[in-house]
Amino acid sequence: MLDTVSAGSAHNATQLGWTGVVRFLHFTPRAFLPMRAAEQINLVAGRGIEGDRYMIGNEEGFYSHKPEEGRQVTLFELETLVALKRDAGIELRPEEHRRNVTVEGVPLNHLVGRRFWLGETLLEATRLSVPCRHIEEITGKAIFDPLINRSGLNCKILQGGLVKVGDIVRNAA
Amino acid sequence: MKVRPITTVKTVVADIEEAGRGIKLFTLVDPDRWELPPFKPGAHIDLHLPNGLVRTYSLCNEPADNTRYVIAVKREAEGRGGSRVLHDEVRPGDVIGVSLPRGGMTPDARIARYVFVAGGIGVTPFLSMARHLERTEQAGFTLHLIVREEVPLAAHLGALIEEGRVVVHRTSRTGRPDLAALVGEGGSDTLVACCGPEGMTDDFERQTAAWPAANVHVERFVAPPPVIDPDAKPFTLLLARSGMEIEVRAGQTMLAALQEGGVDVATSCCGGICGACKVGWIEGKPVHRDRILSPYERERYLMVCVVGSDADRLVLDL
Ligand code: FES
Repeated sequence: MLDTVSAGSAHNATQLGWTGVVRFLHFTPRAFLPMRAAEQINLVAGRGIEGDRYMIGNEEGFYSHKPEEGRQVTLFELETLVALKRDAGIELRPEEHRRNVTVEGVPLNHLVGRRFWLGETLLEATRLSVPCRHIEEITGKAIFDPLINRSGLNCKILQGGLVKVGDIVRNAA
Repeated sequence: MKVRPITTVKTVVADIEEAGRGIKLFTLVDPDRWELPPFKPGAHIDLHLPNGLVRTYSLCNEPADNTRYVIAVKREAEGRGGSRVLHDEVRPGDVIGVSLPRGGMTPDARIARYVFVAGGIGVTPFLSMARHLERTEQAGFTLHLIVREEVPLAAHLGALIEEGRVVVHRTSRTGRPDLAALVGEGGSDTLVACCGPEGMTDDFERQTAAWPAANVHVERFVAPPPVIDPDAKPFTLLLARSGMEIEVRAGQTMLAALQEGGVDVATSCCGGICGACKVGWIEGKPVHRDRILSPYERERYLMVCVVGSDADRLVLDL
């Protein structure tokens, strides 16, 4: 019974009422380098973010083993940063989680396999991001454990374009 | 093109400057002049040199200057080879992979005064600290530089010497200074630090033995041994398909040993939760530290990023 209820509400969350907003944008050309904040970033369909390390065709920039189609752009919840401070006393700045787009009001964990609009661009969520040890090394903060299951979302870019801070994020039915 | 995991920060040599007899300053930057990973005053980095050597050097620029890593290297003809490669072979434009910066001091508001004691080229870690303290004016400092005759990095220290912040002690003229007198009385708001040849650091440790440990800091030329789990033992990996043997050092991860041996293993989390690095094992006693394999799966698979071994030998299906 409980299962049906929670599965149902998750379903509703993705089908019905949520509208989110883009709060921060970041990118970096190579592994380990600090992320730089931007007011807007250019998403290239099927490839990645202009100038970012996960742009396909820019093999040098891949930290992971293989260039990954589903990692063209990564999202992170602002709510997680708030929770991290509240629950673990860790202040993590938006550039430190190393995902590209920090959003507010978007149920990222429920979007795997779904399509949604990020400003004027259309994304398809491929899988949840996993935290990596490497991020603790870079930030010097013990965030691996607290970020398990809330480490953001990896997406493919179906329709590219400019994404700006303040853009609306919404479901693509 | 085959994509290998990236384990170092890519830098290029932007500048090489002669900085006194046998000493060169190397400036490393990102190929696009992007900011580099931040570092604390007194931090060091490992350089992965073209011939495969890995050597540790102190960063000597001011940490706020985040687009450069500057290191000072003295050519040691009788050394272990790192400084010779840098002096004789490395040229501007060469690509050098470096580790993330490690160590250094976290500025502590309770410290009002720093006393640094450096022997010769051991002055390098204190250069970034001195520059940092000068800029932030958060605490006073004196750097005692003990040299035989010639001051290393004289051009870079000139202004600080004139201001009296760096005091040069030339042993060829005045003999060895009394370390106890240089560091003075311990106090909770004073931090003393030393970097130099071993005899000097030993002496320094003796002089400051009674000080609170938090107020005494020693930098050694050789990278400090990594913190090793006291129970960790070295073991041998045998790769069943290639027949290759790889030694895993005490405290080293199996993943790092495989990568060192040129074996590519996919990774993502490096913390035992994503499953990217899962491989089969055939023989041995793995110590599983992942958080996702079931007891049944653990009979066949392991996660190389976190697994250890309880026996001297572990055979992998690789
Ligand atoms: S890399 Fe994720 S489990 Fe090993």
